[in-house]
Amino acid sequence: MKPDLAVVLETTSQSLLLELGPRFGEPYGAATLGIQALLLQAVREELERAAARRVEENRALRRLFAGAGAAVADPELRARLEAAAQGEDASLLVSELEAGNRTLRALLVELHAHVETREGEAARRVEAGIWRELADSTERRRLSIAPF
Amino acid sequence: MERSEGGPGLADRLTAWLRTRLPEARDVSVVDLERIHGGASRETWRFGLRFRREGATHERRLVLRRDPPASLIETDRALEFGAYRAFHGTGVPVPEPLWLEPDPGPLGGAAFVLEEIQGCEASPARLFAPPYLEHRTKIGRRKWEILGEIHRADPKALGLVGPMEEVAPEAAWRRELRHWETILDEDALEPQPVMRAALRWLWCHPPPPAQRVGVVHADYRTGNFLVDGSGEIRGVLDWEMAHVGDPLEDLAWGLNRVWCWTRDGLAGGLLPRPEAIAIWEGASGLRADAVALHWWELFSCVKGQAIWVSAAREYQEGSNRDPVMAFSCWMLGNSQDRAALELLGKLS
Repeated sequence: MKPDLAVVLETTSQSLLLELGPRFGEPYGAATLGIQALLLQAVREELERAAARRVEENRALRRLFAGAGAAVADPELRARLEAAAQGEDASLLVSELEAGNRTLRALLVELHAHVETREGEAARRVEAGIWRELADSTERRRLSIAPF
Repeated sequence: MERSEGGPGLADRLTAWLRTRLPEARDVSVVDLERIHGGASRETWRFGLRFRREGATHERRLVLRRDPPASLIETDRALEFGAYRAFHGTGVPVPEPLWLEPDPGPLGGAAFVLEEIQGCEASPARLFAPPYLEHRTKIGRRKWEILGEIHRADPKALGLVGPMEEVAPEAAWRRELRHWETILDEDALEPQPVMRAALRWLWCHPPPPAQRVGVVHADYRTGNFLVDGSGEIRGVLDWEMAHVGDPLEDLAWGLNRVWCWTRDGLAGGLLPRPEAIAIWEGASGLRADAVALHWWELFSCVKGQAIWVSAAREYQEGSNRDPVMAFSCWMLGNSQDRAALELLGKLS
């Protein structure tokens, strides 16, 4: 699809910000246009990586769950982790990857809360893996407009 | 579409309402009504009020703050108005509060009117550019000094206890944590594993009791005060979340990484963190206990994320499609997670 989506979004954003915004007489309209331009820049950044980061994260979460069994005392939770670990992304549509990601991240919250209450080396290893994944997950989501 | 246009519809309603507030005045009119950006929690309009009284023509520049259909922060505008009234005329600069209208009928939303402090700037994007940039240190010092002055004030003497719920020093943290956790529970559209971990830590490691229960502005940050061209802070704005509680909540919120607009590690983009804290300690007469401050800083991440996820929900569900709702959660949501990870010692 040409011109590239990124080029169209970047160009539109720059036009709103630098050409149309300053001509807008009324301050609220001008400020709103500026925010919309920044939103388009964020969309451009996210569009490029949207599928890749979700596929990467879903794989990372499944790997984490696959290795978590020894640290989980609750058989019902262990069974759900095992089932999730064996799953895979059937589609590369962002909406479907996102739905899968939500399910996996909800399970991650449960696993994290569970291993925090457990003693032993296996629990500490899984917990450390969760923290690494949480740090990685924020890195995957970083936008250049963010202050930190 | 009257709400967003602000044209004759709102001008007429405002004029009619102002006549009831100025019964002795004649020829009351509203001129130059225009909407300005004043955050997503209230619509903000500025205008000129003209009237005749005792044979003379008067004009005042005013600001109307009106509830939108859905807000980034759900609060009681009477409390915000009360906070302006409590601090007006004290050492804490605020615009003069004039009239409150709690009934949404007359103006299309509950509202209040303040004086407009003219010739000033609040937007961080403009404060970190000339002519304000050269005054960055001055602004920062005054910013943290004013915060200390807010915290030195006695909320009972200001008449704020009553309208604002009283809280015991040892209970302030629990009330606030429960409040923001509930909002996160209700409004998050996706799992929040970092914030859930932060919440578990906060519940398991309660902070010491507040040294003093004081007025908490609750959104005291760069962007919520007006600065003139000489770097003087002329008005502290956006008191909509003000409450009585632990002053460390405010200090921690102001130090939150998401307000480091200049990305150089300066607190609020203005001052080195130790200097900001020392100024606040001097002005407030309180101590920034390291353990307690750490707890409140992590709490401020939860509070921030609760606000960003609420904004995301409002935008997603269509109850407020102001682009600032989407922008705030995109720009700050992930930074807030990173800030929490840093405080927990887990940011790689």
